[in-house]
Amino acid sequence: MIDPVQQFLQIYNAMPEAIQTLLRFLYSESFIKAAIFPGALFSTLLGIFAVWFERKLFARVSLRIGPLNVGKVAGILQLIADALKFLSKERIIPEGVNKPLFVLMPCLALILSLLLYAFLPFGAGWVIYPSDIGLLLFFLVTALSPLPIILAGYASRSKYPFIGMSRIALQLFGYEVPLFLALTGVVLSTRTLNLEKIVEAQVAVPLAVTQVLGFIVFLVTLLAETERLPFDIPTAEGEIVFGWQTEYSGVYFLMIQLAMFEKVLAFCFLGTLLYLGGWLGPPIPGIPESISAPIWMILKALVLFTLVALLRGVYPRLTIEKVLDLGWKYLIPLAFLNLIITAGVSLVGESWSITL
Amino acid sequence: MLTPVVDAALWTLLLYLLLTAIAPPVFYLVSVLLAPRRPSRVKKMLFESGQAPLPSRAAPFPIEYFPYVIIYIAYAVFAVIAFIVVLDMLRSSESLIRGLLILSVITAGAIYASAQLPSLKQRLERGATA
Repeated sequence: MIDPVQQFLQIYNAMPEAIQTLLRFLYSESFIKAAIFPGALFSTLLGIFAVWFERKLFARVSLRIGPLNVGKVAGILQLIADALKFLSKERIIPEGVNKPLFVLMPCLALILSLLLYAFLPFGAGWVIYPSDIGLLLFFLVTALSPLPIILAGYASRSKYPFIGMSRIALQLFGYEVPLFLALTGVVLSTRTLNLEKIVEAQVAVPLAVTQVLGFIVFLVTLLAETERLPFDIPTAEGEIVFGWQTEYSGVYFLMIQLAMFEKVLAFCFLGTLLYLGGWLGPPIPGIPESISAPIWMILKALVLFTLVALLRGVYPRLTIEKVLDLGWKYLIPLAFLNLIITAGVSLVGESWSITL
Repeated sequence: MLTPVVDAALWTLLLYLLLTAIAPPVFYLVSVLLAPRRPSRVKKMLFESGQAPLPSRAAPFPIEYFPYVIIYIAYAVFAVIAFIVVLDMLRSSESLIRGLLILSVITAGAIYASAQLPSLKQRLERGATA
């Protein structure tokens, strides 16, 4: 009986130096984190799964069956087929568009959406770029992400994309401030900008319980920032064809759709980290903690995503005035109130600890 | 000085950036391999929902929502002030009380503004007609 490890070592030592280096690189922590989990492969597969999940759920809400035939189980391969269909469509660039911007902006949108995953920890140590200002970096990339959308609408030089573009500019103007204020509330109560430490601070009680107002503000801004129903006025199909994406087709449309879904999922993960206790959860018997932590994290995020996807089936679309009023008139004061309550609670807590 | 841990993390981030940056070109290459190429004049026309194409394609920015853009300028500063105040509050309990005071002033302003906002739009419209 030959030991498989010994056998592998023999083969490994017999290989040329270049291949040995390549194997070492493929097995290195950096490559596994960047390429497999929680990096490129994981986020792409999760994006595909999420689109399938949402279509299935939305179909059930409206008493349909949803994807059925492609793939053995419940049409699970439908999305792969859809992606292949988009890739095999002719690349049409309408005349009169600003060609460089028109082609580059979907790519930039996809890159920015995927970049959000670099700062999200999926367990202690399971993060691509651990940083003490992880939350700020996430917000920075989020704040950049309207740029490709607005420029894509501008580059199309067509009336429906123009209307969609002005709508999304107004919408994102209105919801970035409450999002930032809700995140500030989290920073105030956990006393850190490090996402891993924010999760560790929620061992006793998740922040969704102690900061109900902040959680509500975050949930609404999540929907608005990612253009989900009832806040999908920039792409409202019934009104302005497909908003700022009207002129896009084929591979460009695929990139935009993938970017939008990755952004929704990244926000669901952020919500899980900030308010639902991240990867904390009861230990699963038989599974070590380093593996059960990401499982809890993904499960919680999927619950949040289910909520987001359900809203699509349940709520009608808001008008732009209602969207703007909700952002400026209700969410911002609510977010400020949340800050004051959090500050008051920490003041009381501090004076208690001084008297004790 | 960079510690080795930071180095590895930065390297992972750069690797991830590289991987995300090659994703769009890969999509594009697959599309070049799979997609047909049969351009025609009709395909290149802008989508007009069945109407005759307009000579001027740019739509004007809806001016009726302009007040919201103006208040964004004020609120962006408010948000930054709140963030700095919060960072200051984390330092000591003295600054906690001071920060609470600043926050309550800002909050009172925000609530007052939200009560005044409906009339702001009308006032601007009246000013435009007068």
